[in-house]
Amino acid sequence: MTVMFLIGTIVCGLSVLVCWTMTAVRDHPADSSIISLAAIELYLLAYGVYAGIRQFAGASVTGEAWEFWGYIVTALLLPVGVFIWAMIDKTRWSNLVMSFVGLVVFVMVYRLEEIWWGSAL
Amino acid sequence: MRQPRKANEAAGTDVGSGSTAAGTTTATNSPSPTPRNRGVGMLIITAYGIFAVSSFARALYQILTDFDASPVSYTLSAFAAAVYIVATLALARVSPRAWRVALVAVLVELTGVLAVGLWTYLDPELFNEATVWSHFGQGYGFIPLLLPFIGLYWLMRHRTGPAAAAAVRDTQA
Repeated sequence: MTVMFLIGTIVCGLSVLVCWTMTAVRDHPADSSIISLAAIELYLLAYGVYAGIRQFAGASVTGEAWEFWGYIVTALLLPVGVFIWAMIDKTRWSNLVMSFVGLVVFVMVYRLEEIWWGSAL
Repeated sequence: MRQPRKANEAAGTDVGSGSTAAGTTTATNSPSPTPRNRGVGMLIITAYGIFAVSSFARALYQILTDFDASPVSYTLSAFAAAVYIVATLALARVSPRAWRVALVAVLVELTGVLAVGLWTYLDPELFNEATVWSHFGQGYGFIPLLLPFIGLYWLMRHRTGPAAAAAVRDTQA
C-alpha cells in the first residue's frame, strides 16, 4: 500500500462519515459535506499531478497509461457532477447523495493503484 | 422561467378535472407529496448515474482498445451502458412517458443482470472479459444486482397516469 493510497482512503472514508453524520443531523446540504467533497477533489488533483510528474519523468505504469488517465479524469468529474446534482434539491438527502463520492472515488483509487503498481495492497 | 409555467399547467389540470369529479382530484394529487426524482429518489438516480458513467467509460475503453479480444463481452458492456444511461435519464424525469421508459429500462436491466449473471456461471468461456453484469455484478459489489430491484420498487411507489389512479382505487377499496 502506497502513502498516496493511504491518504486517499482516509480522505474518502472521512468524507463518507461526515456526509452520513450530516444526513442524520441536518435537513439541508451541510457545509462540512461540501467541504469533504472539495477535499476529495483536491486529493485527486494532487494524485493526478503526482502521477503526471512521475510519468513525465519516464516512470511507467503497469497497466495501460490511457486507462489510468481515463480513470483520473472520470474521478475528477465525479465530485463536481454529484455536487451539482445534490444542489438541485437542497434537502437532508443531498448529504447522502454526496456520500456516494467518497465510496466511488475510493474504489476508483483502488483501481488506479492496481493499474499503476500492479496491485493496490 | 420554467417554474411558473409548470405551476400554471398544474393549476390548469386541477381546474379541468375538478369540474368532472372533485373526489378523484384530491385522490390523484395526494399519493406522492415528494416527486419521484426528489428526496430519496435523488439517491437512486445518483446510483444509476454513477453506473451510467462508469459502464459507459468502461465500454468505450474496451471497444476502442481491443474489441476483437472478446466481442460478446464488449458488445454487452456497451448495451449495459446504454441501459443505465436511459434508466438514469428516465428516472430523473417525472412525465408519465418517462415513467414508462424507466420501467422498461429497469426491467431490461433486471433481465440483463440475471441472464448475464447466470450465463457467466454456465458458460464462462464466452465471457473471457468481464462486463458490469458478469457473475451478477460481483466486480461491482453486487450493486448491479440490487439496483434494478430498488429501481422497480421506487417506480411502483411512484406511479403516474392510469396506473396511479388504479393504485389509489386499490387503496381506497
